[in-house]
Amino acid sequence: MFTIVIRVIIIYLVVLFLYRVMGKRQIGEMQPFELVLTLIIADLATIPMAEVNIPVLHGIVPLLTLFILHTILIFASQKSDSLNRVICGKPVIVINPKGIDYKALKALNISIDDIFEAMRGCGYFKLEQVQYAIMETTGKMSIMPKSGCAPVTNEDLKLKVQEAALPINIISEGKVLKDNLKIARISLDEIMKEIEKLGVKKINDILILTIDKNGEGFLQKKYGEYSTFQMEMKGE
Amino acid sequence: MKPWFRYFSFFLILGILIAVSIIEDKIVSNSLIKVNDYCFEIENAISEDGKIKNMDMVMLVDNLEYEWKENEDSMCFMVNHKSIQEIGVEISKMKSYLAGDDVKEFKASLELIKFYTHSYLHFMGASWHNVL
Repeated sequence: MFTIVIRVIIIYLVVLFLYRVMGKRQIGEMQPFELVLTLIIADLATIPMAEVNIPVLHGIVPLLTLFILHTILIFASQKSDSLNRVICGKPVIVINPKGIDYKALKALNISIDDIFEAMRGCGYFKLEQVQYAIMETTGKMSIMPKSGCAPVTNEDLKLKVQEAALPINIISEGKVLKDNLKIARISLDEIMKEIEKLGVKKINDILILTIDKNGEGFLQKKYGEYSTFQMEMKGE
Repeated sequence: MKPWFRYFSFFLILGILIAVSIIEDKIVSNSLIKVNDYCFEIENAISEDGKIKNMDMVMLVDNLEYEWKENEDSMCFMVNHKSIQEIGVEISKMKSYLAGDDVKEFKASLELIKFYTHSYLHFMGASWHNVL
C-alpha cells in the first residue's frame, strides 16, 4: 500500500507540474486537441498509480512525451496560420443578416436546437434579434445582436462615467492578504481605522473586504450585512 | 508561469526523455547480452566433459544468477517486472537440476533462458518491432 501512496504522489506531482507549465484553460475554452490531451493524460496517469507491476516511468514517460508534443504543436500553430486552422479549425458564421446558414450547420454537424440553446444562453430568444452568430473553435457560440436589440451603453446615451476599477481583495475570510495590501499601497492601520467606523473590531469577523483604485470599499461581515465605504488610494 | 520557465521545462523534459531512452536501451541490451554470454559459457562447460555436477558448474550457475539479479533490479525501473521473471524462474530450476545431476532438464532450462533473452530484446529497448 505504501508503494501505491508514493506512486500516486509522484504521478500527481508530475501531472500538476505539466498542467501548470501548459497553461490555464477551462474545459469549455479548450481547443479540440487540448481536450483530447486532457483525456489521454487522465487515462495515462491512472494506470501506473494502482498497477504496482508497471514501472512509474511507464506512466511518466508518455506524459512527458505528450507535453513535448503539445508544446511543439502550440509553437508551430502560433507560427503558421494554416497549421493553426488545421489543428484548431476556424470560427464559422452560422447566422448572418440573411438568416441561418444551413450549409454551415450541416458542416458543423449542429442542429437548429443547438443554435437556439446558444442564443438563449446569451440572452436572445428570437432569431430576428441576432445579426451574426459565430461558432468559435472552442465550440462556444458568440452572438452579435442587431443594433435595435443590443443593450444600451453609456456611450449610446453619451453619459460621462468614472472608469471602472478592479477591486483588490484585502481581507478574505478573516485573513489579511499582505501582497494585495502592497499593491493597494495601503496600510493595515488605515484599513482598521476605516472598518472600526463600520463597527468591526476584529479582522477575523470579516468575510471579505475589497478596495478599488477609486477608493471604493466593500465590506461584508461573516455574520452580518455588507456595507460600503470610501478611502483615499495611493496606488493601483 | 514565466516564458523562460516554460522553455526551460521544455528542454529539461526533452533532455530527460532522451536520457531515459538511451539509458533504457543500454541497460537492456548490456544486461541481456551478458546473460546470454554466461549461458554460452555454461553450455561450453557441459560439452567439454558431459557432466554437470561439479564445482565449476555450480560457480557458473551462481554467477549467472548473481548477474541476472543485478540486471533484473535495474530493468524493473524500465519494464514490467512480470514480463521478465521467466529467466529468474529458469535459473532456480537449473540450480535444482544441477543438484540432481539432471543434464537433460538442465540443458532445456539453459535453452529457455537463451530463448527468453532473445525475445526480451524484441520488446525492450529501442526497436522497430515494438514501435510498429
